Amino acid sequence: MTEHERTQVIDSSEETRLLTEVWRSPPGFFGWFTHVNQTSIGKRFIITGFVFFVLGGLLAALMRIQLSAPENNFLPPDLYNQIFTMHGITMMFLFAVPIMEGFAIYIVPLMLGTRDMSFPRLNAFGYYVYLIAGVAMYLALFLGMAPAVGWFAYPPLADARYSPGMGVDFYATVITFMEISALAAAVELIATIFKQRAPGMSLNRMPLFVWAVLVMSFMIVFAMPPLMVGSVMLALDRTVGTHFFIPGAGDPLLWQHLFWFFGHPEVYIILIPALGMISDILTTFTQRPVFGYTALVLSLVAIGFIGFGLWVHHMYTTGMPHLASNFFTAASSMVAIPSGVQIFCWLATLWGTRPRFATPLLYVLGFFFIFVIGGLSGVMVASVPFDTQVHDTYFLVAHFHYVLIGGAVFPLFGGLYYWYPKLTGRLMNETLGKVSFWLTFIGFNLTFFPMHYLGLQGMPRRVYTYLEPLGWGDINLFVSLSAGLLALGFLSSFINIFWSLKRGEPAGDNPWHADSLEWGTSSPPPAYNFRHIPVVIERHPLWEYQEGQDIPVVTGIRSDRRELLVTSLLDAHPQYRAVMPGPSVWPLLLAVAVGIGFGGFMFHNIFPVVGFVLSFIALAGWFWPRELTREVREESS
Amino acid sequence: MNRFSAIDASKLPSYAFSHCVPIWWGIIGLIVVEATVFASLVISFFYLQTNFPTWPPDGTQPPELLKPTLATLVLLASAIPMYWADSSIKEGKTFPLKVGPLISIALALAFLIMKVIEYRDIGFRWDTHAYGSVVWAIVGFHSAHVLALILKTSVVTTLAWQNYFNSKRRIGVTVNGLYWYFVVIIWIPLYMTIYWASHLLQS
Ligand code: HEM
Ligand SMILES: [Cu+2]
Repeated sequence: MTEHERTQVIDSSEETRLLTEVWRSPPGFFGWFTHVNQTSIGKRFIITGFVFFVLGGLLAALMRIQLSAPENNFLPPDLYNQIFTMHGITMMFLFAVPIMEGFAIYIVPLMLGTRDMSFPRLNAFGYYVYLIAGVAMYLALFLGMAPAVGWFAYPPLADARYSPGMGVDFYATVITFMEISALAAAVELIATIFKQRAPGMSLNRMPLFVWAVLVMSFMIVFAMPPLMVGSVMLALDRTVGTHFFIPGAGDPLLWQHLFWFFGHPEVYIILIPALGMISDILTTFTQRPVFGYTALVLSLVAIGFIGFGLWVHHMYTTGMPHLASNFFTAASSMVAIPSGVQIFCWLATLWGTRPRFATPLLYVLGFFFIFVIGGLSGVMVASVPFDTQVHDTYFLVAHFHYVLIGGAVFPLFGGLYYWYPKLTGRLMNETLGKVSFWLTFIGFNLTFFPMHYLGLQGMPRRVYTYLEPLGWGDINLFVSLSAGLLALGFLSSFINIFWSLKRGEPAGDNPWHADSLEWGTSSPPPAYNFRHIPVVIERHPLWEYQEGQDIPVVTGIRSDRRELLVTSLLDAHPQYRAVMPGPSVWPLLLAVAVGIGFGGFMFHNIFPVVGFVLSFIALAGWFWPRELTREVREESS
Repeated sequence: MNRFSAIDASKLPSYAFSHCVPIWWGIIGLIVVEATVFASLVISFFYLQTNFPTWPPDGTQPPELLKPTLATLVLLASAIPMYWADSSIKEGKTFPLKVGPLISIALALAFLIMKVIEYRDIGFRWDTHAYGSVVWAIVGFHSAHVLALILKTSVVTTLAWQNYFNSKRRIGVTVNGLYWYFVVIIWIPLYMTIYWASHLLQS
């Protein structure tokens, strides 16, 4: 910094006006379809994700009503099957992954101190693909033709022979779509994190949430393609008579391998960003640097790697060779090590501090409790003999809800309460927040803990009812009532969201006195995110700044077009000023073209060809440089 | 709190090359994703093979090697004019960029036509047996890539004829080239799998 002169920056209102003009998203109904700013798209992902969470939750409520008494006939068997399948698909594909991506898309560029993602239009495209997929899936449910084969859709049950009708076709299409959306988000999150950090934010100064998103994105890049291959093969088996998964002709187990090679990392794709949120929330609410930054980063990366070596533990009962089973048992238990490192670092962070027990921290503490229980049952089912006993029973249902809800949904709500002021400019109501936490926490444990017991008693999962003499009625009734309590907990958070929108306490830029850059701009951030790109000299920039010194910033980025600063990968040295694309309708058109290609395939073989041609047209329109001649003239002069 | 200017970005360039540019990373990401897709297909090929006493299954001849090898050479050759164009534009020479890609496109088209002729009477279909399914899937998927390559490159070539690219503005050419090399190179393991592995496993 010394070689630069310390010239004071004068805010010119003319520049601010220009920036506002240039980065503005077009208003109005038709304008909505052209937005590309990361704050716009991120918010859409988050809102849509929560809508699907509510839908998936309603489906769960229907299931719990059906199961509340033995031999109940509230739901007919086939509809029950459709509903639990849709619940799984919704929660895994339409809620958990997209909402984590949504938070990443909204928060990460702010944490990095940049003005947008690397590929804003790709971002918008990813959102539309997601939206189309989700709407198509629920359309199928309302038409009574949703898949009824479970969210993992094992053949031969999922083959055309045993699942006639269009349900599984919808499944295969929608899965492929969600993969495309997730891959697009992952690739551009990686590019953004690599190339758009504020000057001085070397890799070892990145907030842990950014690290977590980076690991998540890499996992998506390697986990999703095999499933995409699998889902396309499944669609081909059903429509054009290929033999990939047909018993005797091909191999149903090939699907299981492809599915779980994706499916296990999927769990970590959901969990890892949540771990990042926890580290940052803890830093803020203890007001001290997190203990063991390097250890936390390394264990995130380790979880990312080990996550790829575990998939076969979902297939113990398919008759694996012994050696393979042993290997995967060992690998599955090994993942407890980096998870343990995380927990101990967090405990050390909390040690001896007087944390501020606001709602976000409560959700994090709730996570500790629940996730440890989920981890313990996880270590149990990682061993082959135990797993063989409880496979496909409610013990498993208890286990995976403990890790999914405890590991991802609790931190997610923590993150919601934490970042809500940044998104809206207002704090959420604390009292209601605490009420919602306790309702959710108690409701959750009362709902899912007894399921361990039901599972040990032998109650199989994925059944629409059970017989009276088995004596499971009372516990199931208790579970169902508790699920109501849990629903009330979530509901009070949703009420809080709406209530605080208008009536919440104004937040200011940095209500929690947090350390990372997203709190260094106004709440909600302007369309251009930062008036001046900050320069980072330490791991906790905002804490550093507030020691009464002047804030170092970047000047000289043009305000009359969408420009941002690109920096080097390791040290974040400024490299050049990149011009970003503005609002455009092409991402929507491309998403529709891809939709016609994949969706139409359910009806006729010609549609992929049509989709291919339309996609090409949309892509050419997307990438064709506008104002070709002017740009050429300008730059060749 | 006052701000002071620690970095004046107006002195920085407004363009950059290769790995400095986010889109370069975007294309690398795309390539990694697609390589994983192809790897999954190849693994599926060998996984399915373990279910059959002979592979290709009884009644299907192993593929002949001469014509596919020729086609492979044609595809490999198509990368050369692309490379020529790519490296010339770095020095500001625009002429190679106008003709190089055209030669590449012609070679890629020749490759596609050879594939069509080969598979028109290959003697098995995707619904004949699992071998047919996976072979048609691999070849079909790769051919779709070659087709996309041709379309994409024709857009780049059109822009080149309009003198859009120069020694500074050439990231579009770089990433198009990268993708071209990828589709060409990934064909080698696919070719080895479909043709050589089928042959060796048969005998
Ligand atoms: C909101 C409260 C929730 C309740 C009351 C609930 C309840 C249930 C029930 C009753 C089942 C059926 C179990 C079976 O028969 O196998 C189920 C399955 C499942 N749930 Fe949840 N769930 C909730 C939230 C979630 C969340 C947040 C996720 C994921 C992030 C999730 C993921 C799944 C999955 C993957 C299945 C398996 C579906 C299948 O077998 O195809 N659930 N849940
Ligand atoms: Cu697993």
